Amino acid sequence: MKSNRISPEMHSRIRRAIKAAALLCFASAFGPVGAQNAANNLPDLGEIKDPWELDFYFENDTRVRGKDATGSTVGLSKFRNTGQIDATKNLSGGWVFHGILRGTFDGVHHLNPDEYGAKAGGAITLQSTAGGTRLPAAYGGLGASSGGLVVDHDTVAGLGLVNNKFLNSSALLAASPNQGLRVLGDRWHPIGGGVAFATPVRPCDTDHRGCVNFGGYGDQDRSDLEFPEFNSRLDFIREAYVRNTVQLDEGKTLFLKLGKQQVVWGRTDLFRVLDVINPVDYSRNNIYDELQDIRIPMWIAQAEYRMGAGDILQERNLQVIWNFDKFRPNNLGQCGTANVILDAGCLFRGLKNLWDNGGTVANFANVAPNTLLATNFGPGQIGLNRVHLPSWSLKNTQLGVKFEGVTKGGVSFSLNALTFRSQLPSLHGGKRAVNAFTGEFRNAWPYLISFDMEFPRVHLIGGSMDVAFESIGAAVRVEGAVTKGEEFANTLKPQLYSKNEVFRSVIGIDRPTFVPFISTSRTTLFSGQIFYQHIFDHQRKSDQFGPVGMPDWEDNVIATLLVKAFLMNDRLSPQVIFARDFQARAMAAAPSLEWLFSDKLKFTIGGNFKLGGIGHDKFDDCRACNPWGPFTAPIGDSNPTTAFSRGLGGFEPLGRFRAGPIGAAFKEDEIFATLRYKF
Amino acid sequence: MKTSFTAVAMVCGLLCGAAFASTEADVEASFRPYKSGVPSFPGLTPGTVVSKANVEQFKEVLDEGLYTMVKNGWTELKVGATTSFEMEPNYVEATRKNINKAKLGATTGEITGFLAGRPFPEEPSLSDPQAGDKIAWNYKYGINWGDNAAIYPFYWKYRNLTTGQVERQIKFNFHFLNFQHRVRHEPIPAVVPNPANLFRGIYVNVLEPQDLKYTQLLIQINGDDTKLSDAYLYLGFQRRVRRLATAQTTDAFLGSDLMIEDFEGYNGRISDMKWTYKGTKNILMPYYNHNDQKLATDMPPEADGYKFINFGGLGGCFPDITWQLRKVYVVEASPVNPSHPVSKRVFHIDAQVYNINRTLIYDRKGELWKSWTIGKSHPDHHLPINKGSGIAIDDSFSMVDVQSKHCTTGQFKGQIDPKLNPPSLFQVQNLRGGD
Repeated sequence: MKSNRISPEMHSRIRRAIKAAALLCFASAFGPVGAQNAANNLPDLGEIKDPWELDFYFENDTRVRGKDATGSTVGLSKFRNTGQIDATKNLSGGWVFHGILRGTFDGVHHLNPDEYGAKAGGAITLQSTAGGTRLPAAYGGLGASSGGLVVDHDTVAGLGLVNNKFLNSSALLAASPNQGLRVLGDRWHPIGGGVAFATPVRPCDTDHRGCVNFGGYGDQDRSDLEFPEFNSRLDFIREAYVRNTVQLDEGKTLFLKLGKQQVVWGRTDLFRVLDVINPVDYSRNNIYDELQDIRIPMWIAQAEYRMGAGDILQERNLQVIWNFDKFRPNNLGQCGTANVILDAGCLFRGLKNLWDNGGTVANFANVAPNTLLATNFGPGQIGLNRVHLPSWSLKNTQLGVKFEGVTKGGVSFSLNALTFRSQLPSLHGGKRAVNAFTGEFRNAWPYLISFDMEFPRVHLIGGSMDVAFESIGAAVRVEGAVTKGEEFANTLKPQLYSKNEVFRSVIGIDRPTFVPFISTSRTTLFSGQIFYQHIFDHQRKSDQFGPVGMPDWEDNVIATLLVKAFLMNDRLSPQVIFARDFQARAMAAAPSLEWLFSDKLKFTIGGNFKLGGIGHDKFDDCRACNPWGPFTAPIGDSNPTTAFSRGLGGFEPLGRFRAGPIGAAFKEDEIFATLRYKF
Repeated sequence: MKTSFTAVAMVCGLLCGAAFASTEADVEASFRPYKSGVPSFPGLTPGTVVSKANVEQFKEVLDEGLYTMVKNGWTELKVGATTSFEMEPNYVEATRKNINKAKLGATTGEITGFLAGRPFPEEPSLSDPQAGDKIAWNYKYGINWGDNAAIYPFYWKYRNLTTGQVERQIKFNFHFLNFQHRVRHEPIPAVVPNPANLFRGIYVNVLEPQDLKYTQLLIQINGDDTKLSDAYLYLGFQRRVRRLATAQTTDAFLGSDLMIEDFEGYNGRISDMKWTYKGTKNILMPYYNHNDQKLATDMPPEADGYKFINFGGLGGCFPDITWQLRKVYVVEASPVNPSHPVSKRVFHIDAQVYNINRTLIYDRKGELWKSWTIGKSHPDHHLPINKGSGIAIDDSFSMVDVQSKHCTTGQFKGQIDPKLNPPSLFQVQNLRGGD
């Protein structure tokens, strides 16, 4: 019988072709030639006299990276070409429409396939520790009974557990071959005697292992990665809203803004204490793009009652926002792409692959003192099973209220309250699984590293203020918030997470200062910020093999400093940003030089470089949690039938929470050149 | 010792004020300095062109900066007939009504009893140690843009003086609102409630080019001159309102050759400067009738057919206008703050209009840094909406950095239209409603 089915590769090619055609249509319809015609052809949208205002932009962003922790040179990490159209139209009744269409093609997946394309990854080698000596252990390697260094089905069967569900090498490699893989976290640290497992890194049309939608990423084909805005959420419609200011009595006004938009709360740069209404797309350029370019616009209704001055306050404004869009989390970046913040996307994909196909986990089985052998788990035993993305329902929408005022003394302030879904995923462990030793299935195995991904509801109250101090020639801004409902990894809990209240605050200061060797007529801006985070009811203690509990720091401080100079009538602007994560002992420096060649053409060159180490990033990895007692108890354990963590740890999987976004990108030094042109 | 100085200052404040009290005749003379005839200078008549060739002949009617630029051949000055710019009648009446009510305080920047109008209409005297302060107050409480106005739109060009290359062109809308001391448009005399005691608001919206589009600036000037003005900047690429530090008002605004402090001639506090009256002169000032000038043909068209003032001279840095021989008060203002980027400004303030139209700005080494010209059009020879307003319309500007050979020029479409300037526009929250 002749098949009419289209092969996956052909399907992928067709999708790429469609998206490329869409981008070309997008460019030709609104590009330099088409822009005026497009303006003429756009609908009237009511009785209007004013024409459409259209601005068309093109941007190329090219980035190159050096060596990662494996010693191999990454090379091209971004070849992003973006077309953007800003459109504004005055409508009848005082309404104004504003829209931004954005389409991107990132050629890096085609130009650097060994790192970010169909040839990425390869065969990997994991690790076993024998008598304290770390030895290479093949992924899907042979069991000890066959002369290998891996615990497999036959090895465990040899102990009398003939119903065990561990996989022998052949079965594992048949289900999940040793190709297109990287060792989890190898971009920034060695295995180092800890757990490690494989994570597939090729686009999902090439290798579908571990692919699932984590909320806009995780299941992306190459064409999805190349054309990130052309997706089912229509992200190429970046913003599309109408706004109006309705005049009321006594000079009061009602400001309305309805549509797909960004709503920005707070006063600080870089840190998102109050600026949490829109999720953020870190896959675009990690933390280094302006937030306005990486916030993910949502369908939001915004109403603001602007009361003007009263007897006490010079300004009084009450804002209500209703984010009625279907939930979206932050895009943390798909494993196998250049920007995977915290390397989280690789952890998730690796865990998902473990659940679906099984896999080898390095240094797992404590079979003798100082001996931890790699173990071939089967499917459905450990890993990530379900991803619970909140569906659209009224109760899953998000609501915020803000009062913004200015005192008669000139202090601007806001009071904010928001109920929303966490934009970061939470992994709930201790879930359903098959006991690999016995074959027994249970709906819950306390302390087992079998996870579901959840996005809990979070409540936030906070505020912000800014004021200028003449005596020091500076403007100071403060922002703070307390949240309830956030979840953190916690190996002291049977489900391996806990809910904790969190306090976050930022104090920032802007001080323009004359630096004579830079300019005697133009100040250089020094802008410093200190971010502080405290986790209430933080849990951590020392156990037999090391610390257990929460990897996140109870108190942490991150400081940033921006130094920005302005030369040649602001057409040449060198700047450097420093960021220091004190607990992670990680630091980033991001120098850049912006040259405005003309009103239409801008060049930027720069880089970001990380300093520091990974010496403080190890933490409990739950190898010694003993969920399947007595089989999983550490050798010689005094309480081998009870599940709890004894604190055996390594870099993975929780070290990333100690390293933070800077530390986890420790080996992602990068230089870039960006060109932006307005037609 | 400090107490003694304060006491002396207070006594002087009382006695000096009494010694220089104003009369009805002073008011008349202040607003109609050309009632008995316009000033003249030998050889200078309407139609004369002051150029490099004859500049020495007319050196006496040129300020130092203008003289140098003409002498260098950077520009030529076409002379027009001196005309009276009759002021807004309500403002003149308020001056009469409130005569001698305003009193200077013990220190510069303090004033009491002022309600509306020109606070010190008497002719300044070199023997009056507070004459400089009084002129400064007359400027501050002048009727530059009236109770409210908009420059809608406003084009700035950053130019290379030597090559004429236009490096940047910024398109703005500027809006002005007086919260206090209003005389013409409702609400009179003040916008209330106003618990922060705001005197004036300036709101700026950038329309072009791409990197500055959506930028907004709000300046709120306090009614108490000794208090710091508040300034807020909305940056389109940040989508957030940023509080400006004090020093940013003395910084190059958006890379131009102007500081925020230069806006309208001088936009700082009186208390920020030490003011010294240096005398009265008749010099050429950039006063003209807009509709009688050669207008630009290289500017974006306006729907109503309005055309902007043309620019020419070296680098295109100089307004192509006619100049009037006018009575001018010369005042020197030196910053109190020693780290201020300017060592002094020499203001040439029109005696009738009390606007600052020619300013020489000196750097911290005391050398001439910038030459600042603000051209004024008679309102009856401008847009129809401005006719009869009694407001001399800011119409063109040129800030020439003589050291770096660079300039910024401005082409205005000034409109005295209260509808364009509702108080809600001057609230910080209005900035957050931007795109």
